Amino acid sequence: MDTEAPPPTATPSPVIELTGVKRAFAVPGSGPLTILDIPAFSVAAGELVALEGQSGSGKSTLLNVIAGILRPDAGSVKIGGVDIVKLAEPMRDRLRADRVGLVFQQFNLLPGFTALENVLVAMGFGSRPADRGRAESLLTAVGLADRLHHKPAALSIGQQQRVAVARALANRPRVLLADEPTASIDPAHQQQVIDLLQTSCRDEQVSLVVVTHAPEVAAQFPVRYRLEDFNRAAAAHAPAAARPAAAGVQP
Amino acid sequence: MSLFGIAWRNIRQRALTSGLTALSMALGVALVVATLVTGGVVKQAFESGAGLGYNMIIGAKGSPLQLVLNSVYLISKPIENISWQTYEQFLPASERADGVDGVFAASTQTAVPICMGDYFRGHRVVGTNATYFDRLFRGDGKPFSFSAGQNFVDDDLYTAVLGNQVAASLKIAVGDEIAPTHGADDGKVHDPFLVVGILDRTDTPVDRGVYVNMEGFYLQEGHAKPIEDDEEAAEEATAEPARLPDGRLPYNQREVTAILLETASLPGLPAELTAMGLRTAINEGRDAQAALPIAEIRVLLDLFVSPLELLLLLVTTLVVIVSAIGILVSMVGSSLERSRDVAIMRALGARRGVVLATVLVEAILLAVGGGGAGWLLGHGVVGLIGPWIATNAGVSAGFFSFTPAELLLVPFLIALAILAALLPAIAAYRTDVARWLG
Repeated sequence: MDTEAPPPTATPSPVIELTGVKRAFAVPGSGPLTILDIPAFSVAAGELVALEGQSGSGKSTLLNVIAGILRPDAGSVKIGGVDIVKLAEPMRDRLRADRVGLVFQQFNLLPGFTALENVLVAMGFGSRPADRGRAESLLTAVGLADRLHHKPAALSIGQQQRVAVARALANRPRVLLADEPTASIDPAHQQQVIDLLQTSCRDEQVSLVVVTHAPEVAAQFPVRYRLEDFNRAAAAHAPAAARPAAAGVQP
Repeated sequence: MSLFGIAWRNIRQRALTSGLTALSMALGVALVVATLVTGGVVKQAFESGAGLGYNMIIGAKGSPLQLVLNSVYLISKPIENISWQTYEQFLPASERADGVDGVFAASTQTAVPICMGDYFRGHRVVGTNATYFDRLFRGDGKPFSFSAGQNFVDDDLYTAVLGNQVAASLKIAVGDEIAPTHGADDGKVHDPFLVVGILDRTDTPVDRGVYVNMEGFYLQEGHAKPIEDDEEAAEEATAEPARLPDGRLPYNQREVTAILLETASLPGLPAELTAMGLRTAINEGRDAQAALPIAEIRVLLDLFVSPLELLLLLVTTLVVIVSAIGILVSMVGSSLERSRDVAIMRALGARRGVVLATVLVEAILLAVGGGGAGWLLGHGVVGLIGPWIATNAGVSAGFFSFTPAELLLVPFLIALAILAALLPAIAAYRTDVARWLG
């Protein structure tokens, strides 16, 4: 599948399903700036998806909306069939803890906690009781069996990103959202992170959505979209040369 | 991971700041605890009556508080002396030369005379008789005991018993001789007294007293009362006093500084009423006053000690509040770092209430942890100054001394910590996740 293909809105039992989502931000001195205008977008269970977009195209905003961190101004966002827009914030938080794993560009590990504790903390926010055995096996799976009790400062960049991946998978999420996971890593290690994410998500049967500005990263995913394909706001702001064909955008 | 686990790791992450904050809290709480405990045990001991074996002090007219401070605590100056005849009013016929019951003998259970005015190397010399250590108590109804030697007997005129602190600090043992000086340390040196007993430590003012046989005391130069209508005898009193056949000073030349009195119950009357009646009768007379040590000390506490203690407590409480502000400053100072951590936790699914609680628990741990260390430190300070309190205030205070007011410290510290952490906690509650992780 390439960037010209339409988004999989008709996939059966989508794990992520956005309908009519709009999100704008107030800009001082001018009117609201629409960042997201997505008529429809969905990700099927187990899909490994790359969303490619330029800076300012709304990639991070989209991930935050899917994760329930940001509330859209309009539309619905379903995770595993549950419309999180209709949920009260504490329920959204709980659903995020249980069903959504997040990996950030800056890894965002808690600096005062060891690798194992970073995973255990995430487990503590979910519905299930914290499972130390699972936390250890996740870290072992990402190659950190001998780094369980190291704090982030004692880990290399690549190792920190591995902890972040293990932490994102801690609560057996339905979907893992990764925001520019390779942007802070040197090219030699980028491939390792991509492989780790894809392998881990396949092993855990988790849908993976990676947003990236790098075409070479997006090219390595079986499903690949450009934001402009389904986000009208991004398409409107994009340079003419970068605008997708009309067929790439769902009404 | 529990809230406590997360909060504890946050504290460890900022170990230096957290440590200094907790130290500041510990010092503040130590001050409060030391003040509370010291004030508490002093008041408790004074107010309890202390079971010394006497409940009234008879002395010359003047300040009753001064009489109590001088007689019981061996501080302040003696007022004046009272006559031997006044003392004899409390004695039964068997103890009087004339073989007649004293006018107050029926109301008296024990009457111990004390004579003061001499010193021995900075310590008060108390002339008394053997009943002091035979019938009175060291406190709480416990009898006096001797670490060496024994009590003097009235017939051995030049014998002495030393308080434990005096013997220890001056390195005096049984068998040594001491020579008191008249009126002050640089006064005329009196005849030597043989030390026959050293008391066990009592943690009361008795520890710093030098107790000599009153009969020997009277025979020292300047201690015989001048006989007003006999100029010649008065002159003799300042030189070599006249003596009874057994070598003692005649009764008409004797005075006592005070009488430590345990009142008896008159038939059909409660002990309190007997004491009140006796006190009234004495105070209405011209010769002496009767002071109730407990009442006088209570007046002292109410007038001076309690306000002073309150002031001290206010100051130390302010110190604790400043320490709490330290917690606030510490948390606000680390708010940038904290906001990022909070945003991470929120992104991982932590509810706002959880991050708010984490900040509060962190502050409570700092306050209670620092406060706990301060509590130990405060009791340690009391333990260290306990002997000093004991000898100066006459009450026993140590590491394990406890006052119920300390129980209020825990809720006080928790409330203070919550107040101090409220702003940072609300800031954590309101953290914009998307902004901090974007």
